[in-house]
Amino acid sequence: MAFALGVPIAAVWAAAPASLQVQIVDERGLPVRDAVVELTPNGGWRGGAIRFAWKPAMAQKSVAFVPGTLIVARGSNVAFPNLDSVRHSVYSFSKAARFEIDLYGRDQTRSQAFPIAGTVALGCNIHDQMRGYIRVVDTPFAGKTDQNGIVRLSGMAAGGHQLTVWHARARTPGGELKRALAVGAGASSQKIALKLR
Amino acid sequence: MIQLPSALQRFRFRSLKLRIAVAYAALSTAILAAILLLAGNGIARFGEDSASRDLAANARVFDEIIALRAQQMRGSADVLSRDFGFREAVATGDQATIESALVSLRERSRSHAAFVVGLDGTMTGSATAALPASNDLWDALDGGQDHGIIRIGDKLALAAASPIKVPDTIGWLVVAQPLDAAEMRRLAKLAAVDIDARVVRASQLPPALAGAPSGRVLESGDSERVLHHVTALPALQAGVRPRLVLDHSLSKALGEYSGLQWLLVALAGAGLTLIIVLSWRIARTITRPLSALDEATRRLGEGKDASVEVTSDDEIGRLGASFNVMVAAIAERERQITHVALHDGLTNLPNRKLFVEQLDQALARRRDEARLMVVYVDLDDFKVVNDTLGHPAGDALLRNVAKHLQAVLGDAIVARLGGDEFAILLSDLSATENLAALANKLQSCFDRPILIDGQQADASASMGIAVAPDDGLDGITLMKNADLALYRAKRDGKATYHFFEQSLDEQARHRRQMELDLRLAIRDGGFELYFQPLYSMHEERLKAFEALIRWPHADKGMISPVEFIPLAEETGLIVQIGEWVIREACRQAATWDGELSVAVNISPKQFLTPGLANIVLSALASSGLPANRLELEITESIFIANVEKTLETLHSLRALGVRIALDDFGTGYSSLSYLRSFPFDKLKIDQSFVRDLAQGGNANAVIRAITTLADALGMETLAEGVEDAAQAEILRQEGCHQIQGYLLSRPIDADAVHVFIAGMVAEPDQHRLSA
Repeated sequence: MAFALGVPIAAVWAAAPASLQVQIVDERGLPVRDAVVELTPNGGWRGGAIRFAWKPAMAQKSVAFVPGTLIVARGSNVAFPNLDSVRHSVYSFSKAARFEIDLYGRDQTRSQAFPIAGTVALGCNIHDQMRGYIRVVDTPFAGKTDQNGIVRLSGMAAGGHQLTVWHARARTPGGELKRALAVGAGASSQKIALKLR
Repeated sequence: MIQLPSALQRFRFRSLKLRIAVAYAALSTAILAAILLLAGNGIARFGEDSASRDLAANARVFDEIIALRAQQMRGSADVLSRDFGFREAVATGDQATIESALVSLRERSRSHAAFVVGLDGTMTGSATAALPASNDLWDALDGGQDHGIIRIGDKLALAAASPIKVPDTIGWLVVAQPLDAAEMRRLAKLAAVDIDARVVRASQLPPALAGAPSGRVLESGDSERVLHHVTALPALQAGVRPRLVLDHSLSKALGEYSGLQWLLVALAGAGLTLIIVLSWRIARTITRPLSALDEATRRLGEGKDASVEVTSDDEIGRLGASFNVMVAAIAERERQITHVALHDGLTNLPNRKLFVEQLDQALARRRDEARLMVVYVDLDDFKVVNDTLGHPAGDALLRNVAKHLQAVLGDAIVARLGGDEFAILLSDLSATENLAALANKLQSCFDRPILIDGQQADASASMGIAVAPDDGLDGITLMKNADLALYRAKRDGKATYHFFEQSLDEQARHRRQMELDLRLAIRDGGFELYFQPLYSMHEERLKAFEALIRWPHADKGMISPVEFIPLAEETGLIVQIGEWVIREACRQAATWDGELSVAVNISPKQFLTPGLANIVLSALASSGLPANRLELEITESIFIANVEKTLETLHSLRALGVRIALDDFGTGYSSLSYLRSFPFDKLKIDQSFVRDLAQGGNANAVIRAITTLADALGMETLAEGVEDAAQAEILRQEGCHQIQGYLLSRPIDADAVHVFIAGMVAEPDQHRLSA
C-alpha cells in the first residue's frame, strides 16, 4: 500500500527492500500528528552520513517555529531564519543542546550545530508561546507522522531494530517510547498508542 | 357541661356598651395575636432562612476567597517561575541557585513553603516543616491543577503551583501557606457575616458533620444554635481530603431580629390599647343614642318632656325621629284625653273636676283684699223642657245656655257640673265690688227666651253664691256653700239668687242629721201612726180615720211630719216610709169596727213608684182589710209630670177597689180638667177655705161652688181643718158631706182610736157638732 502510493524514501530506495509503516494514535485512537518515529538498527547505524529529504532549518514565522518539529541528523547545523518583522531569540536548556541566540531581526539567520542526539526544545525568550522541537537522530530511518498519524520508513535491512517514538506531549519520561522491533523483509506495519498530556 | 351555662352567664354583661366593646376588642385582639404569631414565626423563619442563605452565599464567597488567595500566591510564584535565570537553573539542575531563589521567594511572599517539583519527580525546596512526597503531588500538578490543599507537617496548607516552562513544562514551582486558625480568621474577616471558618481533613470532621453532604447547610446545637456548612476543597496532594467547615451562629443571627420582635410586641401593645380605646368609643357612639332613648322612655313614663335630640340620619337617627313623633302623638292623645276628662262632652265647658282645679288655682292666686265668687246655677224648668220637648231639645237648651254664658261672661270661668247645673267662677273681684249688682247682672243672663226647634222655652235659673274669703277659703267649702245657697234659692222660689249665709250651713247640717235618723227609724220601725177621725155630717156618723205619721225621736221628742216629710221626699225615703204607712194603716183599720175606713196620704214621689198597686194589694191581702175601706189621698201635683201615666196608675188602683180622694183641693195648680179626666171618689177642700169661713166674705161662695161641682160630678166633699161648730154648721149648709179637724179630735194614737170609736158608739148623738 505504501508502495502503491509511491512515497519516495530517497536515501534507501535501492538498498533496502524492507519497509515499515507506523501509525501513532492517542489513547482515544485518534491519529497523532508530528510524532517522530525512529528505527535504529541494533548496534547502531554504520552506514555513513545521514541526509534527510528536508532542509535542516527552523524558521520563525508568524511568531511560531516552522516547522514545529524538525528531524535532523546528529552533527547537523540548523539554520534559524527570522521571517517575521519582529525580533526573536532562540534558546534551549535541553541536555542535547544548550544554547542561547540573542535577539535578531528580520531576514537574519542564525545557525547552531547539534552534535548530540536527543530532543532539543526551543523557545523564544520574549515570546513564551513559541515552541519548536528539534529531534537529533542517529539513524536515517526517521520521520514525522502526517495528519493521519502515519509515517512510512523504508530501506532498512531486515533484522532487529529499536523503534523510538517521540512526541512533545507524550506522557513518558523524556517524551519517548522505545521498543524493540524485528523488521522482516518486505512491508510491515505497526500501530502504536501513545499517551499524550 | 353543667358548668358551661353559668360560666357563660358570667360573661353576659348588663351593658350593651360593654358587650360591644368587649366583643370588638376580643375579636381585634385575636386577629392581632394571630398576626403577631405569624409575623413572629415569619421573622424567626426569615431569620433562619436568611442566616442559612447567608452562610451558603458566604461559603461560595469563601471558596472564591481561597481561590483568590491561591491566585495571589500563584502570582508571586509566577514571577519566579517565569524568570529566565530561574528557569535556566531549574533546567540545568543548578540546585544551589534554585534553593536560594526559593528562600528569596518565601521571604518575599511570606509563604511558609516554596519548592520545585520536577517533571521527572525530583523535589527541590525549602519549608518550615516536612514537605509532602513529590509522587503525591505529581499527578495533580501534571493534570494542570494550579492550586489545592497539601499537608506541610501536620498542618493543612493552601498551595499554588506555577509551571516552569523552558518552553516545555519541566516542573512546577509550588508555594504554600498553612491554613491555620490565624489565617482562617484573617480570611473570615473578608466574609460579609460573622463566620467561624476552619479547614480540616475529612477524617477529622466531628461525627455530626462527617456524613454531611457538601455544600449543604446543617444545624446543630442545643443551648446555642449553630449552622454548619461543609465544602470539599481541591486537594493538590493525593490522599488529602480537605474540608472547609464554616460555622455560623444562628442564635446570634436571630438575635439581630429579636429587636424587631420586641418592636412588634410593642406595636401590638400599642395597637391593643388603641383597639380597646376605639372599641369603647365605637360602643359608646352606638349605645349613647340608645341610652338617650332609654332615658327618654323613662321620662315619657314619668310624663315629662321626652323628645330626644336627633343627631344622625342613620337607623338610630330614624329611631330617634320616630320616637319623637311617637312622643308628640302620645302628648296629643294625652291632651285630648285630658280634655275629654276635664270637659263636658255636650257643651265643651270644663267639667266639675277641672272647675275644682281652676277654683283651687284661683284661690291660690287670690291676693289678700281680692274677693272671689263661686256661683252655682240651676235651670229652673229644665226637666219640663226635657219631658215635653224631648232630650235632644234639652241638650240644645244646655248648649245654648253654655254658649251664651261664655259669650256674655268673657273672662269668667263657666263649667257644667252635670245635668242642668252650671258653675261660674269670678275671680279677682276688688273688695269694693258691688256683689249684689254683679249677682243681678248674672241673673239677667238667664232672663231671655230661647227658641228651640221653633218653640220658645223658658231658661230662667236659680243661683247660689258663695264668696271667698268670707264664705270659705278652700274650694270644697266654697262649692258646698254655693250649693247650699242654690238649694235655698230654689226653695225661695225660682229665678232668683241667694248669697250663702252661715245659717244655711246649719240647716244643711240639721238636714243631714235628720236624714241619718230617718234611715235608722225606717230600719228600726221608729214611726208611729196617729189617726184623725173623719165625720160624715150627711150620715151623722163617724166615717173614717186619716192615718197620719208621727216620728217620736229619742232625743228631739215628737218630730212633726212638716219637718221630715219634705226631707223624705227629697231623699226618696218617702217610698219606704209610704209603704210602711200603707201596711200599718191597713193592719190597724182591720181591727176596727166593720164600717170604718182608713185614709192614707200618697206622696207624689211614692205615686210614681211602679209597684204602688202591688204594695196596696199586698197590704190589703196581709191585713184582710176590704179594699173599699182603704182610701188613698193624692194631690194635684201628680198630674204635673205625666198625665197619661198618672191616669193609668189611678185606674189600676181603682181597679183594686180602693177609693181615691183628691187632697188639698183648691190650692196650687188646681185645674178642673183633672176632675173631668178622672172620677175621684172625694174632694178634700183645703183648710185655708175653712179658716176663712168665720170672716164671712166670699169663702162661703167658694165652698158652695166646690160642693156644687162635686155633687155634679158625683164626688163626695170633705172640709179639712174644721175647728169649731160654726164652721161645721156653715159647711153643712153649703152642702159639704164630711168634716175633719180639731172640732172632732186631734190625731190620736191607735189605742185611743179604739176608745174614741167606743165613745162614739156609746154616745151616737154628737152634741159637739151641734154645739
